[in-house]
Amino acid sequence: MQPDVSVAARARTGAIYDLGYQGYEGPRLGRLAAIVTLFWSSWRAAFGLGRSGKAKIVPWGLAVLALLPAAVAVGISALVGNAVQPFTYDNYLPQIAITLGLFVAAQAPELVGGDQRNHVLSLYFSHAIQRVDYAAAKLAALTAALLTLTVIPQLVIFAGKVLGATDVLAALGDEAPKLVQIAVSSLIYSLTYAVIGLAIAAFTPRRSFATGGIIAFFLVTSIVGQILASMDAGQISTYAQLIDVGQVLVGVTYTIFGGPGFSFGPPRNPPSLTPDLSGIAYLGMLVAILVVGAAITALRYRRMQA
Amino acid sequence: MPLIAAKALTKRYSGGVTALDGLTLDVEPGIIGLVGANGAGKSTLLKILLGLIKPTSGSVSVMDMDVVTQGTRIRQFVGYLPEHDCLPPDLSATDFVTHMGRMAGLPADASRERTAEVLRHVGLYEERYRAIGGYSTGMKQRVKLAQALVHDPKLLLLDEPTNGLDPAGRDEMLELVKRTGTEFGIATIVASHLLGEIERVCDFLLAIDGGKLLRAAPIASFTEQTGTLAIDVEENAETLVLRLADHGLTARLDGQSVLVDLPNAEPYDIVRDTVDELGLSLLRLEQRRHRLEDLFSGAADDAA
Repeated sequence: MQPDVSVAARARTGAIYDLGYQGYEGPRLGRLAAIVTLFWSSWRAAFGLGRSGKAKIVPWGLAVLALLPAAVAVGISALVGNAVQPFTYDNYLPQIAITLGLFVAAQAPELVGGDQRNHVLSLYFSHAIQRVDYAAAKLAALTAALLTLTVIPQLVIFAGKVLGATDVLAALGDEAPKLVQIAVSSLIYSLTYAVIGLAIAAFTPRRSFATGGIIAFFLVTSIVGQILASMDAGQISTYAQLIDVGQVLVGVTYTIFGGPGFSFGPPRNPPSLTPDLSGIAYLGMLVAILVVGAAITALRYRRMQA
Repeated sequence: MPLIAAKALTKRYSGGVTALDGLTLDVEPGIIGLVGANGAGKSTLLKILLGLIKPTSGSVSVMDMDVVTQGTRIRQFVGYLPEHDCLPPDLSATDFVTHMGRMAGLPADASRERTAEVLRHVGLYEERYRAIGGYSTGMKQRVKLAQALVHDPKLLLLDEPTNGLDPAGRDEMLELVKRTGTEFGIATIVASHLLGEIERVCDFLLAIDGGKLLRAAPIASFTEQTGTLAIDVEENAETLVLRLADHGLTARLDGQSVLVDLPNAEPYDIVRDTVDELGLSLLRLEQRRHRLEDLFSGAADDAA
């Protein structure tokens, strides 16, 4: 900027607009409001809102990818009748697990890496929030972003079932209890992917490292878990499936909601799709994943130089 | 109420570096210059005031609030301009400053209004709707100042606000800092390693060196007249020193100048006559003022 231009500009506006400095006497909303602000801005960032078009391609592409199977299935059954219904509320989330993993791999670094890379963190930490608040807001935002990916397709299936029925009201009555299953299973999946993604992404300001790390985590745990599970090594094989996050989630939702199993079956699951460990094992493993992941993230931000 | 009160404040980093070493000070509101060489402990002090890092020992309070136990509350009333880059390149200045205003607790509408006002104050106009990534260093520095001001802080902490600016940009930034401090009445601490800048905008000076307080006093007291007379002559300064000594004056050579301690009776006549005697041409004869630089050269002498 040319200094003389800016001086001229200031003189011009000064003559017309400059009312002098006004102090701010209004309310200061404090810590909770700051956390909510950070939550919403991060949620927007997860979908590239308020950013360039380029930043929207990946999250929206993956969101469409998560919705596509449900939309296609509902579309087909609307055309040819209810003969084929490949998706139920039990098997939809395992189907889009890879999409969820990719979304986290792409967007968790977007949420937290930039703040480290551009040193915005030192500004956040010099505001009226605690460090753990920052981590919590980011986790909530990523979970909420994933919820849009997990809930909407299932609502599409729900709408398809209800509206495709001959007696819409009766169908609504039949299906309504399933809304609880949709909400709870979506929350479990979203929270788990968000916790894991954030715990890894918090460790590097470099986007490519974070994305690679998250993909590697899901790939390696899934492959190792499945190899061990298929090795026919007795107890080890049975418990080895707990290494596979996808399998843990399948086990947990099955434990909570039961269900007909996965007749259409996601190919990445072992042939016996009814989990054969006790529900406690799956639930325990899930809790362990969530607690450890959240603790890693919180500790990371507590210790980070800013 | 003191703005800042520190008692035996010490910060040792895990690597064994002592950034602050038993710093004790009381500072009243105003525009306060915090000077010291790079590594003197300026940034460490600011970060402790913000509660970004914890002191190893000692205590410090800001506006009567303890930084360790009431950090969150203090930060509501403090604006901070860090030394390094701290701006997301993909957001516009308007969006970013509004966001930071809301982070500081302003309701959404108030934050938008104040953002417009503050960006105008720092001199960002049409460009405020463009992504920050495309800004010049000077514009980025203005955005950093704007985000520190948006919530109308009671205390402004500016860490090297002229970092990376060209001379014209420096002048504008300093003018802005001065206006902010005087017209808005916001207590301001400006950390800088450039004495000249501090001298221009501040009315109180804190000098630290090696983590210790060197001096805390109004700027004016640093630049007041000293008891020394400086004489510049074209040549033969050494002879002049000897001859003045013969006349009973304490004279010494300092670079090209001859310095004479001023006794109770003023020696102007003697100096004039001596210079005339030697047939030297007198270039300058003046009572010396303190210079801020003396502060640090004196400290270096003490250390040596």
